[in-house]
Amino acid sequence: MKTNIQFIPFAMLLNREIQRFMKVLAQTILTPMMTSTLYLLIFGVSLGASIQMSSGISFLEFLIPGLIMMGCLNNSFQNSSSSIVSAKFGGDLEDYRVSPLSNSQIVWALSLGGLARGLIVGGITFLVGEVFFYSTTGAWLNVHSWPIFVFFLAIGGLSFAKFGMSVAFWAKTFDQMSIVGNFLLLPLIYLGGVFFSLEKLSPFWQSVSKFNPLLYLINGVRYGVLGQADVSLSSCILVSGVALVFFHFLALRSLNRGSFVRW
Amino acid sequence: MSKPLSVQELIKDYGPNRAVDKVSFEVEPGEIFGLLGPNGAGKTSIISIITTLERPTGGAVSVFGHDVVKDSRQAKVNLGVVPQEIINHGYFTVEEILKFHSGYFGIWENQKQIDFLLERLDLHVHRNKRVKQLSGGMKRRLLIAKALVHKPKLLLLDEPTAGVDIELRESLWGFVEELKAQGISVVLTTHYLEEAEQLCDRVGIIHKGQIRKVGPTSSLIKEFTQRRIQLTLKDQIAPVSHRWLVDQSANQLVFQVPADQGLGDLMSTVDFSYENVMDAQIMEGTLEDAFRRVLGEPTA
Ligand SMILES: Nc1ncnc2c1ncn2[C@@H]1O[C@H](COP(=O)(O)OP(=O)(O)OP(=O)(O)O)[C@@H](O)[C@H]1O
Ligand SMILES: [Mg+2]
Repeated sequence: MKTNIQFIPFAMLLNREIQRFMKVLAQTILTPMMTSTLYLLIFGVSLGASIQMSSGISFLEFLIPGLIMMGCLNNSFQNSSSSIVSAKFGGDLEDYRVSPLSNSQIVWALSLGGLARGLIVGGITFLVGEVFFYSTTGAWLNVHSWPIFVFFLAIGGLSFAKFGMSVAFWAKTFDQMSIVGNFLLLPLIYLGGVFFSLEKLSPFWQSVSKFNPLLYLINGVRYGVLGQADVSLSSCILVSGVALVFFHFLALRSLNRGSFVRW
Repeated sequence: MSKPLSVQELIKDYGPNRAVDKVSFEVEPGEIFGLLGPNGAGKTSIISIITTLERPTGGAVSVFGHDVVKDSRQAKVNLGVVPQEIINHGYFTVEEILKFHSGYFGIWENQKQIDFLLERLDLHVHRNKRVKQLSGGMKRRLLIAKALVHKPKLLLLDEPTAGVDIELRESLWGFVEELKAQGISVVLTTHYLEEAEQLCDRVGIIHKGQIRKVGPTSSLIKEFTQRRIQLTLKDQIAPVSHRWLVDQSANQLVFQVPADQGLGDLMSTVDFSYENVMDAQIMEGTLEDAFRRVLGEPTA
């Protein structure tokens, strides 16, 4: 019986997190497949045909990276937050505390678990997007830079999973959880330039949007896929780096302060 | 060698309410220590502080010399706990739960111990069930299996037999004695004082957050209970007056005798002879009597 509390507790919790969403594959994979198909059908193909982008790309091309990142962020957030909320109700959160799992092990295991689901959903959205792109243009959409594409997906997914943990630790009810999801996250994602380009906004709203950190995460992915975006690559890297560090310490702090006792 | 468990001047406040009030006790290697007290006495609060689920307001707790606040991860390596409340695990099966729990304690591959526990706790046929599909007694056994996956040297059992039938209770206590024989120290809380009397080497009696008495079970019984001697006489006699007499009816006399005095001592102080005694029944004090005495309740 070999014991190692430096690495194994983290690895096992990550394993648990992945198995948890694999048990409800319909929820984790089919639902986002359905939503991205619908978005692509409605916005990308039917409405998008009439939208003219100034930068010489089609609206469908513009939309695909945004949807990929939206799916990734949403699902990373969902995964870690629902994992914690259900563990609070079931009492298994107590198991984390009575064992030698450290708070930073918990934060990394849950955020990587959330990211895993975010990447799967992002990947599925990408594949669905490719099918749509091929069926309308007769060619595949080429990814401009895989490292940049994956980098922003990873930073975004990790940050949002950590944010989801913090919210779940803070929330006392499911209502509070969904308030954060619906009133904070959803508007920020939608207004972060998934569906429209900054250039279409009035100067005033352009400057307001620049305060939305989601804009930089989404445009980072867009840069990775298309090689062009509404904001500069360096600002995307800077904002997403800051977001990751901020949400990491926010999650750690909510674990240090919060209670693991069941509700 | 540091003690398996040392609790010093422990205080726990929930808001303005003091649930644990300067509690101190120690647990020796290989002993079974009973933490006894009525509902709300503070037993679970003490256990939650040992397992780091709750933070102490004051005082210190250490497990094998590791402070549970400053050195909590090392303290928990050798600690197993069976919580009072059932824990649910959503979609996971009994076997998966045990595998995960082993991992949280730093053991990736633990199939041998898991199989042993499943077998020993009669859970083998249920290993692919989810918690929701188990009966109450099976859920308890799963909690016990979880607490033992990493072979802890100190085991905390918070009412492990609540809602468990007699047969299972007996087999669980048998298991606890086996663990003790392997040198594992056990702290348990229970409301079944008869079981605590059989099982515990020492007990601490706690009431309203304060330890009223700690000591070896047998000496507590000696100190706080009296022997009852019931004599049935051949012939009815006139009312007896004796300082130990508690009841006289027809030809029956009931005496309460200090634990260090015997039937001989009694007979030498009464004014009737052995020949007149038809039958004598001696009833030793129980832990339950001692418990009531310590809490200041009338004994049954
Ligand atoms: N999380 C909490 N918040 C506030 N008060 C609490 C909390 N947990 C326990 N208490 C209070 O602390 C006191 C001690 O409770 P505790 O659960 O430790 O008792 P116990 O001895 O385990 O009782 P029982 O035999 O019923 O399990 C009680 O008055 C209880 O109401
Ligand atoms: Mg209790």
